[in-house]
Amino acid sequence: MNNEQPLLEVRGLKKYFVIDKTVFGRPTKYLKAVDNISFTLPRGKTLGVVGESGCGKTTLGRTIIRLYDTDGGEIIFEGTDISKIKRKKMIKYRTDIQFVFQDPYSSLPPRMTVGAIISEAVRVHKIVPKHEIHEYVLDIMKKCGLQPQYYDRYPHEFSGGQRQRICIARALAVKPKLVICDEPVSALDVSIQAQIINLLKELQDTMGLTYVFISHDLSVVKYITNQIMVMYLGNSMEFGDTAQIFENPLHPYTKALFSAVPVPDPDMKMNRIILEGDIPSPANPPKGCKFHTRCSECMSACKLKEPDYIEASPNHFVKCHLYNKEVMDNMAEYDAMYEEEVRNEQANAQKKKK
Amino acid sequence: MKEKNKGNYISLRESRKIIKENVRQMKYYESLKRRKLDISEYTVPMKNPDNIVEIEDLETCFFTDTGTVKSVHGVSFDVPKNKVVGVVGESGCGKSVTSLSIMQLVQAPQGQVVGGQIRFNSSELGYDDKGRKLAYDIVRTPTQEMYNIRGKDISMIFQDPMTSLNPVFTIGYQLDEVSFLHRPNLSKAEIKEYSIEMLKKVGISMPEHTYKCYPHELSGGMRQRVMIAMALAGDPKLIIADEPTTALDVTIQAQILELLRELQRTQGCSIMLITHDLGVIAEMADEVVIMYAGRVIEKGTVHEIFHNPLHPYNIGLQKSKPLITSSVSEPLYSIPGQVPNPINLPDHCYFMNRCNRCMERCAGAYPEMRQVSPTHSVACHLYADVAAENKPQSASGGSKKKKTPFAKNRVKYIEERRIEQRGAK
Repeated sequence: MNNEQPLLEVRGLKKYFVIDKTVFGRPTKYLKAVDNISFTLPRGKTLGVVGESGCGKTTLGRTIIRLYDTDGGEIIFEGTDISKIKRKKMIKYRTDIQFVFQDPYSSLPPRMTVGAIISEAVRVHKIVPKHEIHEYVLDIMKKCGLQPQYYDRYPHEFSGGQRQRICIARALAVKPKLVICDEPVSALDVSIQAQIINLLKELQDTMGLTYVFISHDLSVVKYITNQIMVMYLGNSMEFGDTAQIFENPLHPYTKALFSAVPVPDPDMKMNRIILEGDIPSPANPPKGCKFHTRCSECMSACKLKEPDYIEASPNHFVKCHLYNKEVMDNMAEYDAMYEEEVRNEQANAQKKKK
Repeated sequence: MKEKNKGNYISLRESRKIIKENVRQMKYYESLKRRKLDISEYTVPMKNPDNIVEIEDLETCFFTDTGTVKSVHGVSFDVPKNKVVGVVGESGCGKSVTSLSIMQLVQAPQGQVVGGQIRFNSSELGYDDKGRKLAYDIVRTPTQEMYNIRGKDISMIFQDPMTSLNPVFTIGYQLDEVSFLHRPNLSKAEIKEYSIEMLKKVGISMPEHTYKCYPHELSGGMRQRVMIAMALAGDPKLIIADEPTTALDVTIQAQILELLRELQRTQGCSIMLITHDLGVIAEMADEVVIMYAGRVIEKGTVHEIFHNPLHPYNIGLQKSKPLITSSVSEPLYSIPGQVPNPINLPDHCYFMNRCNRCMERCAGAYPEMRQVSPTHSVACHLYADVAAENKPQSASGGSKKKKTPFAKNRVKYIEERRIEQRGAK
């Protein structure tokens, strides 16, 4: 295997949704669901994408498999940019990238048997010869912990955990290289969660899979991933190795997010950073750093200038002014600039009143 | 076909028979709720006046077309005053149904409380002739009387704040409605003031503005705050929070939990917190009740539950959750199998097929609740000997009533009453 070439590389990926148009259909307002996201994912590793609801983590996953068309940036899968290729050419890559959806109750067709669900893609993409399909499907089912007699049953006969196994089996049936798991365990009970997480890990070892694991459950993410990306309002706030990020979170948002996770130990009193207020509307994000409205370490520079995505330590990226030397050295300048702007705004407001 | 018949499939004839029987049962229980009773018939003395609610052998059933589902099967626990009691369990274990039973809000007519007692310690009731504190027995309280208790003495916060707020009325209108019900002698302006004060209390930064908003204009966290304000409006003694933070993000969850904790301290009320997240329980609760398939399998103080877990299910549950504080890369411990089908539950321990410490005895009768320490009890055959040693020291709390057969005790009680009344006439 080529170690130098990562399986997936995303460069400056953008996905904007049009939320307002002129009468003639020219878009005037965008919702930046995914804004300038970059990462590389080596073969056989797992990337965790964490963030609050509405931060664009699901949109990111869907854009990577081209369920949405991109509005900029590149998705380089095994050396080829798949972000702009035609639909027909994309079919070739469909089998390589698969998706496991969040809700196992709504993502399985109720009128198809388990066997039909799993074998459909195998048949379409001609993964194995026709006469071997049945055995192949049974083999996949066995790997995912489904008994062979389930072949002729319908999804409604199964519990949530079993259904999620069917979803995973369906995704794995076409021999993918990359599987995007969009909150695969959040709809399940704790005791079933562990079964599914173990299954995903085991399959990764035996089949050499690469995962993009989208979740809001930080303890699960910590357990299963190698790299983590923390997202907030469409931006990547922090990116790095899992161990590194959990040991030494840099961004104030990451710190707050980690401290908010309840720990099942009554004696453990964490030093909790409670964020004020709610996540702002993504249609109307704050100026400057998008997190500054809730940040405990907000400076005047944060309100003026959007921070750069900088490499604070090797392979540990953060989008915050606190780690940018240039900004921190010129604090006074920014303070003055901010004061001036506030004054201007006040003057403007008074003019309008008059 | 043979294979299918083994499962949950029932023939048409059987199904018809079940439906007929269900209709009969439902009509009977519905008629019980409507009848007029003297107050003495639904007030009972409390065992311990320091408790706000005592639940004893509660049984709640759902009469479905495929059979009777015993959602709650002999659940007993107490909620002490000024304490937070956490109820944990997987989905379908009956934790929500228990809370709905306390409110008499179980989906009727399919769902009915068929047995047991729920004693609610109301300050309106005095003492009986023996000097014991009287309490409402919510199981027997007629619906008309429940209107005075619901919302005022016991209030509830539901899981999904969007579906529990009415989308066509403003927040203010809905809050005023609640405030007006509990304070009928206030004027309109005073009610508005009171509602705004409630909004302020739950940490909403612009209460006057929020008062005029519609639910869709607020975020999930704000809506949950409004729900809490609504629950507080009646000045309740017990707040039942049914998964209050499940639909929220971690950062918002931290805010709401902080708020609940603070309110519990300042208002001096008890909270019954229902959740499936052990982390939330560890942080909030003083006492913990763990439920599985409609039964309480372990209860104790929060330290006992987390530092000295006894029931194999509790142990497994805690091991199967990856921790944010530890870094282990071994496979997670997972409890094999699934929760049993709630229809036709077996006689033996429900956890037997998933248990890793299963013994011969487990195939026998369902294990009783055994006390291991004065506050800690567990329903498992593993601790039968430990409990027997401890029993003499804590005999008073450990004594358990002989159980009357399922669904019979309530019927029996009412019939006895009838005979008594006839005799008096």
